Amino acid sequence: MLKFIVRRIFWTIPVLLAVIFLTFMMMRQIGGNPFRHTERAVPEAVQANLERKFHVNDPWWKQYAFYVKGVATLDFGPSLVLRGQTVNDIIKEHFPKSIELGVYAFLFAIVVGVPLGMIAALRQNTWVDYSAMFFSNVFHALPSFLVATLMIYFIALKAGLLPTSGWTSWEHKLLPAIALGFAPMALFARLVRGTMLETLQQDYVRTARAKGLRYRRVVGLHVLRNSLIPVITAAGPLLGFIITGAFVIELIFNIPGIGQYYVTAVNARDYSVVMGLTVLLSVIIIIANLIVDILYGILDPRTRDART
Amino acid sequence: MALLEVDDLRTHFFTREGVVRAVDGVSFSVEKGKTLGIVGESGCGKSVTALSIMGLIPKPPAQIVSGSVKYEGRDLTRLSERQLEDVRGREIAMIFQDPMTSLNPTLTIGTQITETIRRHYDVSQKQADKKAVELLEKVRIPRAAERLGDYPHRFSGGMRQRVMIAIALSCDPKLLIADEPTTALDVTVQASVLDLLDDLRHEYDMSMIIITHDMGVVAEAADDIIVMYAGQVVEHATTLELFDNPEHPYTEALLGALPQLEGANVREGRLTAIPGRPPDLLAPPKACRFAPRCRYAGSDDCTEHEPELREIRRGHWVRSAHPASERAKTPEPQQVGS
Amino acid sequence: MAASTPTGIRDEGLTVEQALGAPGTPVGQSNLWKDAWRRYRRNKAAVVAGTTFLVIVLYCIVWPIISPYSGNEVDFSIAKEGPSLAHPFGTDKFGRDLFTRTAEGGRVSILIAFGATFAILAIGVVYGSISGFVGGRLDNGMMRFLDALYGLPYLPFAIITLAIIGHTDKWTMMIALSIASWFTTARIVRGQVITLKENDYVRAAKAVGARWYRILARHLLPNTLGILIIAIFLELPAVILGEAFLSFIGLGISPPDASWGAMAQEGRATYRTHPIEIVVPSIAIASLVICANFIADGLRDALDPRTKET
Repeated sequence: MLKFIVRRIFWTIPVLLAVIFLTFMMMRQIGGNPFRHTERAVPEAVQANLERKFHVNDPWWKQYAFYVKGVATLDFGPSLVLRGQTVNDIIKEHFPKSIELGVYAFLFAIVVGVPLGMIAALRQNTWVDYSAMFFSNVFHALPSFLVATLMIYFIALKAGLLPTSGWTSWEHKLLPAIALGFAPMALFARLVRGTMLETLQQDYVRTARAKGLRYRRVVGLHVLRNSLIPVITAAGPLLGFIITGAFVIELIFNIPGIGQYYVTAVNARDYSVVMGLTVLLSVIIIIANLIVDILYGILDPRTRDART
Repeated sequence: MALLEVDDLRTHFFTREGVVRAVDGVSFSVEKGKTLGIVGESGCGKSVTALSIMGLIPKPPAQIVSGSVKYEGRDLTRLSERQLEDVRGREIAMIFQDPMTSLNPTLTIGTQITETIRRHYDVSQKQADKKAVELLEKVRIPRAAERLGDYPHRFSGGMRQRVMIAIALSCDPKLLIADEPTTALDVTVQASVLDLLDDLRHEYDMSMIIITHDMGVVAEAADDIIVMYAGQVVEHATTLELFDNPEHPYTEALLGALPQLEGANVREGRLTAIPGRPPDLLAPPKACRFAPRCRYAGSDDCTEHEPELREIRRGHWVRSAHPASERAKTPEPQQVGS
Repeated sequence: MAASTPTGIRDEGLTVEQALGAPGTPVGQSNLWKDAWRRYRRNKAAVVAGTTFLVIVLYCIVWPIISPYSGNEVDFSIAKEGPSLAHPFGTDKFGRDLFTRTAEGGRVSILIAFGATFAILAIGVVYGSISGFVGGRLDNGMMRFLDALYGLPYLPFAIITLAIIGHTDKWTMMIALSIASWFTTARIVRGQVITLKENDYVRAAKAVGARWYRILARHLLPNTLGILIIAIFLELPAVILGEAFLSFIGLGISPPDASWGAMAQEGRATYRTHPIEIVVPSIAIASLVICANFIADGLRDALDPRTKET
């Protein structure tokens, strides 16, 4: 088991390096000398200093090496636009809010979506099932900005119940989390229902019942464990969805997270920020996939032995 | 009083296309310590019968519409689900055809055995584990204690079936229902599993119902046999009696389809297949269900009325208008349909 | 399957002749598609979705041609109106007819969606079939590279690509979106090619001496067609939403040309007082996405009937 985990972690390193490399190469395409391309005028002497400090005139692989070293020591360099602020500062200030938003949205999706799917599967072909599925079939395709807008319109403006911008109290956090987590919730409901229905048909469920086990245990242990496996696999890519959705939600609800900042940075050509944030997001995705893989190994013992 | 008495059991499936009468008036009993064999081709209703006894038929489309299943005098069809859960595994146990899919791949076999034990007995995990090891040894799994923590995919097909047997025996049931226990196994493994079942049966003084389409299996394992066709019992006798004096044309055909090495029935070259297909159970014929495929069916009773199950000899019942012992009197058999 | 299925249920009632098709027809291809079409038609939701999809597409193509208004006709006197007979969707803050604007925006969005999807398919098919067909270390390497690409977050990747290209119009948007999303299709195609490669008829073709590109083109790809059609309708929603998101955060096509996402972005400014400006394009996006999903479901059931629901 431990070997399995270690092996998986080991394989993420080359992926990470490759990601940094790709981002790095892409950023270089945007402008050979980032400093020269900034909109603000920089005095000649300062420019020369900056260039020397940031190895701008070194061959690309040296720059890459320095950057990787920076990443490894969690130093993403300075912001090119906001003088005096490093990318790390920016991350520290904005990132936690985005994480919070993402986590809440994810929790909402699981806490509401999974039981919904379970109930639909256990009450198959009743009105409960049909309405739950109709609901999730329609809603999992709604763009989050639509959901957000509608929610804001009806709940916040018309009914005046909750605030529409900012990120301080729990009231602020409720709507954005739900808006972001809505589509994933519907997806989970669909997925869980599908896998549960399939699992309920399996022979080993019949065996479990033939042993006289209480139905609650049959469902709670035998069925659920096997049903959750495909759901966990889906959770990985879902994280990517939540990240992209977060950009939009932050904009609508005026949440000062990195999503908002990312767009600003791209428009301002603040390359080190863009790179830093991109690498950070990639790291998160890679770690999330890693966790999914490990969970998969825990839940399904067959995969532990089958690794090449 | 017999251990299990099934009386006129009817289990129907209510589907969009109509009502499928999968089990249509089946009666038999199982005595303590005896083995009953149920034979018939695929689709004759033998598995549904077994599942009906256990109450494991899929309840939305299927339903036991009439009849009773009396275990030690209690009618199981009248019990609630919770009461049935107490009977299953503890009083009546069941093993299924395909050991590959009948075990949960994500739980260790140890868990799958001990959860049964702990469900029906108030014991600690350690005690349950100990019992599990004993059971595994009893079903002849080598290095039982080490293998308790293994997952099903680490075992071969034959061993998995033994594990299933161990699970079934874990709570000392009085009746074991084995639904095609050897069908999915290699021939060599089949023999050892059957031997095992026989030994255990004697050791535990257990009754058994063994369901199969294989006449060879039933010849060796069963004391009594019922032959099912299209949801009904068409012949019922002791094993010896059935093989020596088969009465129903279908039974004869089944036995005729067995490859023989010597004796009166040796044919040269071909095995006799039974022409035709079983009837559509959505709308079973009002007459004898076997008539379309029977070489003795004539333009008489068979095509008009359904024959009753009658005792043609002591302990030998048959549902046919043309049982073998009455046939010598009738003229040349007509070749009907094909 | 186990004994719990009622084996007495009557099957489809086909005779052997009917199952094989009329005498003379080649077994396989022609019957496969007809069967699939028949199965698809039986799925009511998929049929409704397909029809709705077509209706939307037609509306977008046809309406601007016959409309009395132009989507860019500014008229402040009728700004911010609600739905009426003259303007079924009302007007926006510049007095432009939303019904026409939505249709025009639809043209752009749909064009981008299909364009990006086909680009994704093209890249995916080429990458996947080469990787799957050649196999061995090349396959290994290509897949590892793909693993690395999977680590890149979708939206930032697209954003950076757009930034590299420099400006945003229909075509660059298509390129950016397709570059960021072809990975899954490549994997699917590779999987399919690998499975088919081991098929006997491929071995037979090889044994006869057929060249690899011939085998690929004549044998492997036609059988992947089914999967590809499904893949189209699976990728469409993602691309539509991707374009919508990018436009919404301001990185999309610049006005006055608009896609639905850009329209939604413009509508943000007035959503408190005149929400219809943002709601209409959002619903349009959602409708197309939902239809595509149902169509994909229907196609999957039609082309691969093995997966059944009880």
